[in-house]
Amino acid sequence: MSSGAADRGATSRPAREGRPEPADTGGWRPWRLTDAPAAMFLIVPVLVLFGIAVVYPLIETIRLSFYEIRGLAEPSYVGLGNYLTLFGDPTFRNTIATTLLFTLGVTAISVALGWAMAMLCSFAPAQTLPFRMMVFAAFAIPETVSGYMWVTILRPDRAGLLNSVIGAFIPDFSRAWLGDATTARWALIIAASWSAVGLPLLVCFAAVRAIPKSLIEAAYVDGARPISMMRHILMPLSLTGVRVAIFINLLGALRAFDIIFVLTGGGPVRATETIGYFMYRESMTQFKLGYGAAATVVLLIAVSVVSIPAIIQRTAQAK
Amino acid sequence: MIGRAPRWTIVVMGVIALIWVIPLVGVVVTSIRPLDETSLGWWRLDKVSLTTSAWRRVWSEYPLANAFWTTTRLAGIATLLTMLLTPAAAYAFHFLRFPFRRLLLLIIINAFVLPQQIVVIPLFRLWREMDLLDSFAAVIIPYVGLSFAWSIFLVKNFLEDFPKDLIEAAKIDGCGPLTTFWYIVLPNTLPPIFAAGILQFLWTWNALLLPMLFLRTDVPLPVVLARVAGTYDLNWDLRAVAAIITAIVPLMVFLVFQRQFAIGAQVRSGAKE
Repeated sequence: MSSGAADRGATSRPAREGRPEPADTGGWRPWRLTDAPAAMFLIVPVLVLFGIAVVYPLIETIRLSFYEIRGLAEPSYVGLGNYLTLFGDPTFRNTIATTLLFTLGVTAISVALGWAMAMLCSFAPAQTLPFRMMVFAAFAIPETVSGYMWVTILRPDRAGLLNSVIGAFIPDFSRAWLGDATTARWALIIAASWSAVGLPLLVCFAAVRAIPKSLIEAAYVDGARPISMMRHILMPLSLTGVRVAIFINLLGALRAFDIIFVLTGGGPVRATETIGYFMYRESMTQFKLGYGAAATVVLLIAVSVVSIPAIIQRTAQAK
Repeated sequence: MIGRAPRWTIVVMGVIALIWVIPLVGVVVTSIRPLDETSLGWWRLDKVSLTTSAWRRVWSEYPLANAFWTTTRLAGIATLLTMLLTPAAAYAFHFLRFPFRRLLLLIIINAFVLPQQIVVIPLFRLWREMDLLDSFAAVIIPYVGLSFAWSIFLVKNFLEDFPKDLIEAAKIDGCGPLTTFWYIVLPNTLPPIFAAGILQFLWTWNALLLPMLFLRTDVPLPVVLARVAGTYDLNWDLRAVAAIITAIVPLMVFLVFQRQFAIGAQVRSGAKE
């Protein structure tokens, strides 16, 4: 019934194609003065929940970041003290480095792989459907579960799949992957990319499928082989999808928590904490609430900066 | 289909997909083989037998049945709330006039930026004061509230293509704003409502951070799994069962409702298709 409604909408305004111009429906509203009570009735539950869950926490986190709070004691105002401590704290500086490496690593790996898979699949969409489903399965399971799966793969003994595979070539090989800061960081990136690749595959596949058939047929007529087809037709024409996938996975990686908690617990010795994990650690296990709030504000600035283009787009389109 | 399918693309994709499911296969195999057979790796074939022992014992070892019921209720209530409240607000924002309409809309739809970490400290303090810690509301309120940013955006986007003639006709027939919503708009807006509901369900089901911090007695599956995942106990078979039980519902929901998910996923993260 959805397509019915959408179709009729399309016929009543045939000129509209995709995004509307602001002038189109901007001023149109069917009811006038009597709206306010009805609107309040419909909207107040949302405003109440949104206020408690978003507005209050946002303001309160920023406010608390200027206070020192220990447990149940009365907060004391310290100005920028928390931020100064934060940037003088070697653990936090390491956290920023980990956050950058993790966010960029996961985004680059997952988008590159997802994009490549999307192009591979586009040559035979029907036959590769089960294969796409298998990759989506990794994306659909909770991060706690995928984290646990990687715990089993990275086990330090020979029952760990990775040690066993390498051990087939190098006798008596065994390594505690999660016990060393460098390998633990990369383990985290690989594990997170393993689940995150589903979304780029989904988005890029849709983008590749949206390429006009005539272009592809023309390329075939000109004798394009699969590789050159990918290189010259599929890649440049699916860039919009890639951009969307990059943005979504950047934001997702910045907010990561679950997989870090299960796979490394931020260890060894806090080497694999990202900001989103650092704030949890400081506020909920060390009970330094003000300090944790300051770290959260840093995370907030990071996600906002990444989101600026999306915010501008949404704000311009909202009528 | 793009031209003639070169066979090697299918083969390469198949190999990648097989590599991708190895961790899943490993967990399933570990759960149905005796522990001593898999102590050198679940893929070892020295001695092969199947057992349901882990599947039978796990219920008394870990509180999985209770956690499953808790997760179902949490995700169910959150999903219902989202599917109920979102279309009402999206309709009001799109078709009705009221003070501060555009300002409120802009604030709500741009909140997609906020990570869940933002609510941890303020709500922990608030719930402690209001004595709401360890209640379902402590978890459901933030997860529903945070998701309005994308769910309202999703439904409102859909309403932009809603035929104005229908609304006008309803108005001429004597429908007010509320009756029009209930009889005309709601029945024709089900696809985005379901998409929002499915995303909310998956998100709440998979949630670890807030339930772990705000719930004590009844905890959902991811919290149980996270608690036993990192320990040094050797119950690899039991933990494999726990992982499967945690993953099975979201996996099924995702595979069945893949289309609705695709509609919603991009909007949820702030990127319009």
